[in-house]
Amino acid sequence: MNVPEQTAEIFKILSKGQFISSNSSDDNLRFLYNVIDDEQNFELLHTFFRNINFVLEKGSEYFYFSRPETKVELEKKLDRAYEWIDIIDFLKTFDNSFGSGFRFSPSDILVRIKTDAELETKLDGLKKHTDKVKHQDILDKILKKLKDDTFIELENDITHQYKVLASFSYLEQMILTINIPDDVRNEIPE
Amino acid sequence: MNTFSSIKELVSALYREEKLLSEMFKKRKTTDYKYDYALELVENNDSKIQYLLDRSVLRSNGNTLELDDLYLRFFEQILEANEEINISYINENLEKVTQNIDYYFNEQNEVRKYNYLKIIKHTLRKIGIITLRNVVDLKRNIDNTFKSEPNYKNKRAKLKHLDNKRKDIIELIEQTEHLVNEDDITFFKTATDEELNRIIVQLKLQLQKCTHNLIEIERQIIDFLNQIQQQSGVVEKLRQLKFLKDQFTLETVTDIKHVIARNNSVTFEPNPSYSIKLSLDHLQTDQEAFESIQKIAHRKKSRIVHKQPVADKISDEYLETQIEEEAQINLEEAKNSFLAGSRDLFDFVINYTFPKELSFDDRVTIYCQMVSEFEHLFEITGQYVEHEDISCALIYPNPTP
Repeated sequence: MNVPEQTAEIFKILSKGQFISSNSSDDNLRFLYNVIDDEQNFELLHTFFRNINFVLEKGSEYFYFSRPETKVELEKKLDRAYEWIDIIDFLKTFDNSFGSGFRFSPSDILVRIKTDAELETKLDGLKKHTDKVKHQDILDKILKKLKDDTFIELENDITHQYKVLASFSYLEQMILTINIPDDVRNEIPE
Repeated sequence: MNTFSSIKELVSALYREEKLLSEMFKKRKTTDYKYDYALELVENNDSKIQYLLDRSVLRSNGNTLELDDLYLRFFEQILEANEEINISYINENLEKVTQNIDYYFNEQNEVRKYNYLKIIKHTLRKIGIITLRNVVDLKRNIDNTFKSEPNYKNKRAKLKHLDNKRKDIIELIEQTEHLVNEDDITFFKTATDEELNRIIVQLKLQLQKCTHNLIEIERQIIDFLNQIQQQSGVVEKLRQLKFLKDQFTLETVTDIKHVIARNNSVTFEPNPSYSIKLSLDHLQTDQEAFESIQKIAHRKKSRIVHKQPVADKISDEYLETQIEEEAQINLEEAKNSFLAGSRDLFDFVINYTFPKELSFDDRVTIYCQMVSEFEHLFEITGQYVEHEDISCALIYPNPTP
């Protein structure tokens, strides 16, 4: 079995819980995406990684690793999911179309906060995930978290412009998968 | 109401106020174009604006001015900048064609017949152009709406509305094709006119192009609507989840636990750190590794010089040899002297000449030492002798040891 020569590099990224997205502005990442996207390579890599207890998963325009069995406590995972819900809720409040391909800079958000009380309240609500007090610090911290998990990337260092990567739809997909029973849904005010 | 009496007058009037009209056309989206602004563009000449108002080129609305709808439409159509897709216009033209075909058949006079034919040809050509333009406008409007409409509900409603227009245009195209191919087949067969045939071929080509474009537009609208659906689906779901979360009921009423439990993504795991040890073999054999070790060793070398505490020089006094003399009392010799005499031990010890001067206490000590050491050589009697404040047993040499 001849796995592609980029296997080590792919492993290094995915094993950290990061994603490889098709719309990254990093040439190397885009190249790696294309390597995995090749049907034959995907099969090979899938089998190869399965032997060392990782499952190579394909999302819409992104790849990631999962495990054949649970390794993390449910409680920790729930905490993480709650944090994501808060963060995405904040970002979608900033712009409904916040999703794969969206570009923004932290200053856009900070400017909006001055005129949008709802957004400000939601940012304040993120304090508990960041241990910071100042708006800018909170924002920087959550953006750093998203960046470290490769849901967004810093596209332009000079203008401080971020780009949302395809992996962001992983979070959206997760939110859509949660099922709210109809009778509960009816009780939620519009 | 005054009207323009000739094209010349119209064109020259439009040309004269070209600055004002083009400015107003640019600002047509913002309805309130102030009268004062307009005045500045016509060199503060009131009557010029009044002239345009009189001829219904402009309309005044309180303190604001706007282009008359007729001219606005005219400019938009000529410049291909119209945003409204007007289907009734095609419909009107279609009706015009059918009506004129009727007139054509009813008319006996060749000259008039020719006039009707001319109108039909003209209208058919117009239908082709208008339809094509409508399709182009439709496409541009759909793109604009999707990209620039900020309100989600409006965006979806507008796209649906545009989709209906698309359906209408398709229907009109079908009607036109039907008209040309089937309805008035007699007319198109009998009115043998070279130009008419050419126009019909041209029209058919245009309509075909429109149909192809419309198919693409349909695909795009569906795609856009799906994207919006997906986006607003996420936003809506997120809002509901957030509400439940704030009520602290998210875990109990939804299947979030189940969903998360099933999700074994590595992204939930803390960042792994692989602290893999260096290969000893590699360190010992590889030249590069050796260089690295040297480099690190060099870097690790501490700049701080540890000062060893140095002891002071030992004074010469300590090194000089000193002699201390101590006179030792030879008990053996004293014993032998004692045994040779006949005096009692205490008397002997008090009077014996030792190598050094001894005090009375010392002499008592020697007495005791001798008794304990040479007891078996002495005869200890039961008599005592008193001397100063001590009393001692009388001891004599033992004649038969």
